[in-house]
Amino acid sequence: MTDDNATQEGLDAAEEEIDEEPAEGAGPAADPEEDVEPVDEQSAEADAEAEPAAEEDTGPTLDDDVMSDEEADLLIPVEDYLGAGVHIGTQQKTNDMERFIHRVRTDGLYVLDVSKTDGRIRTAADFLSNYDPEQILVTSSRQYGRFPAEKFAEAVGARARTGRFIPGTLTNPKYDGYIEPDVVVVTDPIGDAQAVKEAITVGIPVIAMCDSNNQVSNVDLVVPTNNKGRKALSVVYWLLANEVLDRRGAEPSYSLEDFESGV
Amino acid sequence: MSTTDDQQARSCVSCGINIAGTNAAAFKCPECGKQIYRCAKCRKQSNLYECNECGFTGP
Repeated sequence: MTDDNATQEGLDAAEEEIDEEPAEGAGPAADPEEDVEPVDEQSAEADAEAEPAAEEDTGPTLDDDVMSDEEADLLIPVEDYLGAGVHIGTQQKTNDMERFIHRVRTDGLYVLDVSKTDGRIRTAADFLSNYDPEQILVTSSRQYGRFPAEKFAEAVGARARTGRFIPGTLTNPKYDGYIEPDVVVVTDPIGDAQAVKEAITVGIPVIAMCDSNNQVSNVDLVVPTNNKGRKALSVVYWLLANEVLDRRGAEPSYSLEDFESGV
Repeated sequence: MSTTDDQQARSCVSCGINIAGTNAAAFKCPECGKQIYRCAKCRKQSNLYECNECGFTGP
């Protein structure tokens, strides 16, 4: 899967710093040192092959071919997106996410179109501004998404359910933690499958942060982003919070550092 | 609004079927705010939807 010239091109310097979250429940094969969350054994092997390329690369250049519309007016400079690794996808892709993918790198990683990510963050902010803050539910079962999700909820006044999503939270009125939100924001449709499932049952729209390997089944609005990296999730939630506050006419008072956890 | 008009208004934006049941979703278009209905099947199959008003394509 890895090309001969992969070691020559390598991964860029900014991407070396991206710490992808280890797979939860993916079995003993999950290795925190790996660059990308392994979805299956085959991808784990591919990642292991790609890793030496990252170590050998010493060039500080950023990979600038990350969006189709070079003139797009982005919320933050494209270098900031690249530094956080928002554009880094996985080595798998789904048909659902194909329209958000810009290209494939020589090491097999799909690159998400940053201009589409940026546009969808604005769209999601427009969408969320239609709802009462307390009627928005943010969920994240991913370790790296918990802190940004909670911070986002705090910033916009929404409710957050991080960690394990207790079944019945949206469907069982006898449960103490039962809530009736009007919209759900999930960090990963795979990890937060229970939240998506219950959102379908009660018929509320779902906004999801989707990576290149996600299926968008039962999702009503996709925000294409790397949903496995700590920095990437921090940046996306920070931008989303700022945009939502901006739509309400409130002054965004949070910096990116506020959304970065020390985990 | 007559019953027929009401049913037409509550039809899936992707396939046109009348919305029934709880698994369907109703929300305002993220771009223009027009009411959009998606049936359970189109949501599950992740069929693309297009807003009749502004042309926004989702999900």
